[in-house]
Amino acid sequence: MNVLWHRLRFFAGDAWDELRHSPGVNLLAAGTLIAVLFGAGLLALVLSNIENFVAELRDDVRIEIYLAEDITTGQRNVLIRELRSIDGVTQVDRIDKSEALERYKSWAGEMATLAEDLEANPLPESLEVFLATGPDAQALGSRIRAQFSEKAGVEQARFDRSLLGRIEALLNIARLGGGALGLLILCAVVFVMASVLRLAVYARRDEIEIMLLVGATPLFVRGPFLVAGVVQGLISSLTALALVETTRWGVRGYAGQASPALLDLVIEHSLPGRFIFAIIAVGLLVSCTAAWFAVRQTRGLSNIA
Amino acid sequence: MIQLFNVSKRYNDSVAVSGATFEVAKGEFVFLTGPSGAGKTTLLRMMLRQELPTTGQILIDKRDVGALPVSKVPELRRSIGVVFQDFKLIQRKTALDNVAYVLNVAGVPRAQQRKKAYEALRSVGLNHKLSANPGALSGGEQQRVAIARAVVNQPALLLADEPTGNLDPDLAVEIMRLFREINARGTTVLVATHDRDLIERMQRRTVILERGHVVAGAESP
Repeated sequence: MNVLWHRLRFFAGDAWDELRHSPGVNLLAAGTLIAVLFGAGLLALVLSNIENFVAELRDDVRIEIYLAEDITTGQRNVLIRELRSIDGVTQVDRIDKSEALERYKSWAGEMATLAEDLEANPLPESLEVFLATGPDAQALGSRIRAQFSEKAGVEQARFDRSLLGRIEALLNIARLGGGALGLLILCAVVFVMASVLRLAVYARRDEIEIMLLVGATPLFVRGPFLVAGVVQGLISSLTALALVETTRWGVRGYAGQASPALLDLVIEHSLPGRFIFAIIAVGLLVSCTAAWFAVRQTRGLSNIA
Repeated sequence: MIQLFNVSKRYNDSVAVSGATFEVAKGEFVFLTGPSGAGKTTLLRMMLRQELPTTGQILIDKRDVGALPVSKVPELRRSIGVVFQDFKLIQRKTALDNVAYVLNVAGVPRAQQRKKAYEALRSVGLNHKLSANPGALSGGEQQRVAIARAVVNQPALLLADEPTGNLDPDLAVEIMRLFREINARGTTVLVATHDRDLIERMQRRTVILERGHVVAGAESP
């Protein structure tokens, strides 16, 4: 244990020496990794926010029942009473015409001024029926929609989950496509980084030859390069994460006023913990793999026949 | 300590060593000499397993060097001290760190590394240059650091390949004095050199190589 600790301390010291003595090469390698992880981080940020949005939609199982202009108070009360008596219905809210207009204005942003030119409020009164989430919600929603579409005083009942299905399908494509593309890019980055780091190893070939001649094992020679890879991967991924968060804040601050709904959709929340962990893990993996490929050539320098 | 049996080394069409057979006993001090291209360096490289013999067998402390698995080569090298003509010091490390590196490789605890490295440098008269990098040392000083590095682990065998080739005659004598002291402490020493004056001055057994053949001095007294 003691020997292992001494070895690790020596590797760390030598790794620091390596980073200090070849700043150009190491900065180039780290810069490549930061750029790729930053791109991956931004993609993860957008995907995770869209995922949040989809999850909110999925939990928000509601039927909108638009009422006729000439509905009577009695008809409305019967509808509300019948809806509330159905198992699985958690809440029924009445949205009158003025509230419907207010909602439109808050949703439309700058376009809301269009509503001010109208002589009368064209929006219908409606009932919002909330259902308990669960596997039966879809069937129940469809049944209520069919049942209440024909009732007296009802203009239209809407329960449309196809948009959610389409968004989820697009999200899955984005996940798969992003994953496959990300894998290809990471392989390319490993190749580029390994080529760059190989220059650092090559610059130290005389030193490596000496180390091996005095009895260092190939692992002992490679150790500092691998530790340097770990340090580089960690610093690169943390820098990329900091850049992603800074970019998120910057974009929200700069363009937040212009298009709040769209921006909130894609950058409202910071990267969740699992993505932060994944980016750090990928950074370490890429950097260590590149370092490993780079130092594999010490076998050729080993002077062991 | 060293036994060579009919060792040959061929590179394509050229023969570097041909049928070399000789022994070096434990505690002996032996010169290996011959003109440039006689095969001295090739023999040392084979003893360090930098090269494999084309035919024949090399035993070091009864270990068949050619038959050692690659994973055992570092262990072999840790048991041999080596000194080269071009010193082969790690330029970005200080004299002390160059010497301590061998102990580090051998797994010696850090506190002992510094102490032993200091003692080794003191034994070659360089205790005042501990923190100097090789670039700041003269040729003679660099070679003394290399000797300190070679003996710090107290190896049973010290191999030196033209250790005085880059030094002026006075320094060469000084280096040989150090080798003699090391040998007096029980370490077997094999020095490859083509410096006839030095060999005559030291009066030790000399194995003579010519065109890859051992032509004299093969037998231990």
